[in-house]
Amino acid sequence: MSRLELAGLTKRFGAQTAVDALDLTVESGQLISLLGPSGCGKTTTLRLVSGFAIPDGGTIHVAGRQVSAAGTVVPPERREMSMIFQSYALWPHLTVAENVAYGLKLRRLPRATIDERVRAMLETMQLGPYAARYPAELSGGQQQRVGLARALAVEPKILLLDEPLSNLDANLREEMRHEIRRLHDRFHYTTIYVTHDQMEAMTTSDIVAVMRDGKIEQAGSPEDIYERPLSEFVARFIGSTNILRGRRAGEHVADCDGLRLACESGVFSEDGGAIVSIRPHRIVLGPPPEGEAGPNEAVGTVERAVYLGSQRHYIVALEAGTRLQVLASSDVLAQPSQRVGLTLPPGHCRALAR
Amino acid sequence: MSASSPEAAPASGRGLPGWFDPSPVFFGLIALLLAFVVLLPFGWLALFSLTDEKGAFSMENFSELGDPSLFLGPFVTTLGIALGVGVLACGVALPLAWLVSRTNVPFRRTLRGLIMTSFITPPFIGAVAWVLLAAPNSGLINQYYRALTGAGQFDRLVNIFSAEGIVFVMASYAFPYVFVLAANTLDRMPYDLEEASAILGGGRWHTLRRVTFPMVLPALLAGFLIAFLQAMTQFGTPAILALPAGFHVLTTKIWSLFQFPPRTHLAAACAIPMLFVTILLLRGEKFLLGRRGFTMIGGKAGAPQLTNLGLWRWPALTMALLVIVVTVLLPNLILIRASMLRTVSDAWTLDTITWDNVRLVFGLTHTRATLENTLITGVAAATAGTAFSVLVAYLTARRAVPGHRFLAFLATAPAAVPGIVLGVALFIGYTRPPFQLYGTLWILLLAFLTIEMPPAYQQMQAAFRGLNPELEDASRILGAGRLKSLTSIVAPLLKSSVAATWCFVFIGTIRELSATILLTTSNTKLVSVLIYDLNENGELGAIAVLGLVLMAVTAVVVVAANRLANVGQMAPGR
Repeated sequence: MSRLELAGLTKRFGAQTAVDALDLTVESGQLISLLGPSGCGKTTTLRLVSGFAIPDGGTIHVAGRQVSAAGTVVPPERREMSMIFQSYALWPHLTVAENVAYGLKLRRLPRATIDERVRAMLETMQLGPYAARYPAELSGGQQQRVGLARALAVEPKILLLDEPLSNLDANLREEMRHEIRRLHDRFHYTTIYVTHDQMEAMTTSDIVAVMRDGKIEQAGSPEDIYERPLSEFVARFIGSTNILRGRRAGEHVADCDGLRLACESGVFSEDGGAIVSIRPHRIVLGPPPEGEAGPNEAVGTVERAVYLGSQRHYIVALEAGTRLQVLASSDVLAQPSQRVGLTLPPGHCRALAR
Repeated sequence: MSASSPEAAPASGRGLPGWFDPSPVFFGLIALLLAFVVLLPFGWLALFSLTDEKGAFSMENFSELGDPSLFLGPFVTTLGIALGVGVLACGVALPLAWLVSRTNVPFRRTLRGLIMTSFITPPFIGAVAWVLLAAPNSGLINQYYRALTGAGQFDRLVNIFSAEGIVFVMASYAFPYVFVLAANTLDRMPYDLEEASAILGGGRWHTLRRVTFPMVLPALLAGFLIAFLQAMTQFGTPAILALPAGFHVLTTKIWSLFQFPPRTHLAAACAIPMLFVTILLLRGEKFLLGRRGFTMIGGKAGAPQLTNLGLWRWPALTMALLVIVVTVLLPNLILIRASMLRTVSDAWTLDTITWDNVRLVFGLTHTRATLENTLITGVAAATAGTAFSVLVAYLTARRAVPGHRFLAFLATAPAAVPGIVLGVALFIGYTRPPFQLYGTLWILLLAFLTIEMPPAYQQMQAAFRGLNPELEDASRILGAGRLKSLTSIVAPLLKSSVAATWCFVFIGTIRELSATILLTTSNTKLVSVLIYDLNENGELGAIAVLGLVLMAVTAVVVVAANRLANVGQMAPGR
């Protein structure tokens, strides 16, 4: 368990900057996920942390010791880290037990200690009965657990996960998300978890760091990131949202094509433009208002209505042409081409600066 | 590149034992060794071609190349023969490839397998077989011809000791290469392309000419170049067939410059044009095969829609069988026959069968030493060559050292060096201080390592590309250095490729003659050279015995290699 600090970390491939002066601190025992679309630099960041890649600038410190700087790195094998790979990277010529024992043998532990720790780890991962099997004889979920067991058996200072669940099917992925969090609650390794799946990041992490173009766009608790995004990119990337653009009409008020929106949180940019984000399930759909629509109220026509079981999904076209997505309880019924009123509560309208 | 700065160093040394990783030093040494082995002889070759006997700079050697009897004559003959071989090999291979790949000719798989068996026979053994069959006087074919037609004692139907004879023999061993290239291309060609042409109203012949043929053309041209190169660089076949006819090709001429009194400077100059032509042709081949991608556009093969030959498939089958009988069956049968009879024209009955040839071969005082030498150099070259190619392929595939691109170039460069040119270069490089290896098996080992490096390296490189690098990363992050990861993770995972490469190098080594002929001495004879000597003494029965032994060993090793490759794919591990 160690504090991990990345400062000004930069990595270029030719003319392209994959990681751009990135700063990030992971407190000891914290699980932080790097979340972003493909090509945002999250995997490169992980390879820099693991020592497989050499930075062009900046430093990495583990527990106060420098392990990477421009052109000079402590190689992966001396970093006392562990890594879970997208492909699991289990060695097909070794049994489950031999896979798990590999790192322990490298540490020249006594035979009896190794056997005991392998047994205990396989027990924890519910892999006891499979110790003598070869990886090819296991299911995908079991293989993933062997990968975890192998990484955790060496009691690493830092645990790195590179899209560990992307090869699993949906059900198993959900199960393994909780499994990873359970293991973290038990062992408390300082962990970096790379993923492009926001649900994965939110389920497992203490801190979610959303990456874009080699930089961290915003880092915070899952709730922070979801409820209080700082940019349109983050608001869109974490869950679906409606983005309304307009001009600033007061300290916390935006005018979007005649629709006046008071926002109780967030700040607008200084240049007079205004961006407002509101989640589909926060918009209240009802009958059109009598008379003039007030602030944070709009009138529109239902364009599409989809029944989702627990909810109904509507697309509503406002008179100015803007289309809004609305998620309502399945009790709230409206037909296509029906005129409806929408309320966008100020408490859920988030002002965005960019 | 894994050097640590003083500041970064404190994090090491704790926790994990063995913090000093010897990998960079070791890898650096490997790279240097490769550079040394490849570059040293060619430095000498260039130097020798540009100096006279006294060591002074001189262009004399090159101006002598204009002499028709020395260089120009043999060079033109060589190009003519090589051109003939290329054309003949393509002419035979293309129809055969089309038949087994795109038509419903009967026994397509069997035909394919039979054509492949001709790889087993080393070309110079084939040349000896054809001497037995078609020498003007003693050749079996001419004897039967005279017996049947009552022609005179010196009349003959065929004469293998001629340029045409050389073209024929070389083409019989070169066409399988063209065949494999063309058949593989045809196999991959999507059937719907032909169907599309047929639907648009293209007749069968029109489709063949306008669609199918252009698609195979690059592979065919590449095959032509391979056949051409083989014909140009071979020593054994022309030495056996051209010398009795009284003319030289380039390889035999270079060899003759090493006979007493040796003229090594001139030989070096003769070798250089050959080197350039080879490099030029290989670049051409790379260009042609590098563009082969377009034959695969569309990719989806669909259900095989074979061209229905109707009744024509029986004549087609007969034609294919004829080719196989002439190029595979006849030479190998005559070898078996010759190995058992005192003279090859004796009747083949139980009474005439004799062990004389076997006794002769194994009765020769140096046979035992020769077999031992062959085995020692074969095993040593295969083992060292495989280990070396694994390391170099690893270094280049994982970009583990600075300059890995240059390393890849060095490992593939010897492919452009004809055996006889390499022989000249090694002879010059290792007959003088600081490395006097001539007269030892070491120089042969070096020659084989250099010759087999490119194919072995390419095989291992392909194997590395098929191995997910994460398997190795996983080992390293858990605390294993590069070298440890290589031995405990990578090597076991690649063991079937490693075994196949070993077999490949071993086979290549035991049948090598072109470089060996210049580097061998009476104490370091190999089987291939022994066969050549026996030919000079006219002991064709003894050659047949040795040739069959060589082919049997080759066949066993090939089967073993295929087994190993398959086992590796099926089992989850050990």
